[in-house]
Amino acid sequence: MEHVHNIDSQLQLLKAIKANDSVVLKQLYVNNYHKIETLVLKNNGSKEHAKDIYQEAFIVVWKNVKNDRFIPENETALQGYLYRIARNKWMDILRSPSFKKTKIIQHELNVLDKGIDLNDHEKDGKQEFFEKRLEQTMEAFKNLGAPCKELLTAFYYEKASLREIANKLKIEENSVRTKKYRCMEKLRQLALASKK
Amino acid sequence: MHGEASSIGISLEKIRQLKDYSNITPELLETVERYESGTMAQEERIAFEEQLRSDADFKILVENIRLTLLGIETQALKEQLDEFHKEIPETPQIEKSTTKVRFLSFTKLAIAAGIIIALGMFWMFSGSSNDKLFNQHFKADPGLPTTMSSTDSFVFYDAMVNYKQGDYKTAISKWQQLAVKTPENDTINYFLGVAYLADKNAKKAIPFLNKTLDRSESVFLEDAHYYLGMAYLKSDRTEEAIQEFKKSGSEKSNAILKHLK
Repeated sequence: MEHVHNIDSQLQLLKAIKANDSVVLKQLYVNNYHKIETLVLKNNGSKEHAKDIYQEAFIVVWKNVKNDRFIPENETALQGYLYRIARNKWMDILRSPSFKKTKIIQHELNVLDKGIDLNDHEKDGKQEFFEKRLEQTMEAFKNLGAPCKELLTAFYYEKASLREIANKLKIEENSVRTKKYRCMEKLRQLALASKK
Repeated sequence: MHGEASSIGISLEKIRQLKDYSNITPELLETVERYESGTMAQEERIAFEEQLRSDADFKILVENIRLTLLGIETQALKEQLDEFHKEIPETPQIEKSTTKVRFLSFTKLAIAAGIIIALGMFWMFSGSSNDKLFNQHFKADPGLPTTMSSTDSFVFYDAMVNYKQGDYKTAISKWQQLAVKTPENDTINYFLGVAYLADKNAKKAIPFLNKTLDRSESVFLEDAHYYLGMAYLKSDRTEEAIQEFKKSGSEKSNAILKHLK
């Protein structure tokens, strides 16, 4: 139980997040959701709003942990950080003129979101370009054929080794390596093709 | 460790050329993978980073791969979040408990206060004897001989020198940096644990010693159980302390067990 209650466990938590440990991610996700739902429901939002805003905040937190942009200061630092990002996102939506007129559409959420993601840094063309490129890659990956998607997910997200994947697919390790490379090429082509 | 693609200064024109990129070789892909996962050997990493600095085209290729990898991971996470969401229980537990507290009657509070005071007194009494036992028996781990074998372990042994001189705080802060990089390393966890304990911070020692014990093949197992027992003893968690001393089975552990039974 000790593991959950001190700053050292925060460092372990960060490590697990970087490894995309699904048990830890799930725990973090499930345990911190209700606070945000309560906040959103009390402030003119719906459960759907709460879910959207929470997931966006969660991804921002994950990214910042990954890039070592978050350093814990106390034993619940990360949980607090997640809450603050989600709350700020919701406050920004409440303040936006479009919210007052219509119920939020996902598109507007995304637009707002980008502004916040950049950590208040000036948003120059370069950054915008990368953001767009990232979105295209994500979209392309979403629609990638199942065999490639599964392989790339196993290797890059779940951090499985080539050997583990080879064993699972019952093929040679070297063919996994080749397949992975081809899938990457396919994904990059797809992402480029979606360029608007 | 790695900033986002955008944080590295490349001109916008250069980046725009990305759309024509094509020649990413399997070798380059795997090099970037090693860099991203932190498994690159030091020499290779230095050479790699040097090339990133000096070769703008190379850098663009690399940034491009990193962006693709980030895209894969972010999308995979996003899809997983929807799965997580299904597992959120309907009724928020936190809400309930706060409202309950609000409506606690005064008498209940008074009873609770009484219990707390009683516990506190129990703690004080049992505390003093455990403390005494701790002080009688506690000797900091002698540490490891500080021979330097490779540059990688320099920080580790540098901290070991501080540890042996009794400068536990400095040792802890140096080892902490290593622990961030390799949190599973049982040697670092063990010495962080014993250093915290020697620094009279049993509470912080406990998780590190526990972590050492996660490694069932660790050479520190016997001592880790012993010092964990000492940490529990210092924290007045006598029952847990006894368990650890029993698991350790070392002479020191048996000696202290006699006093605890």
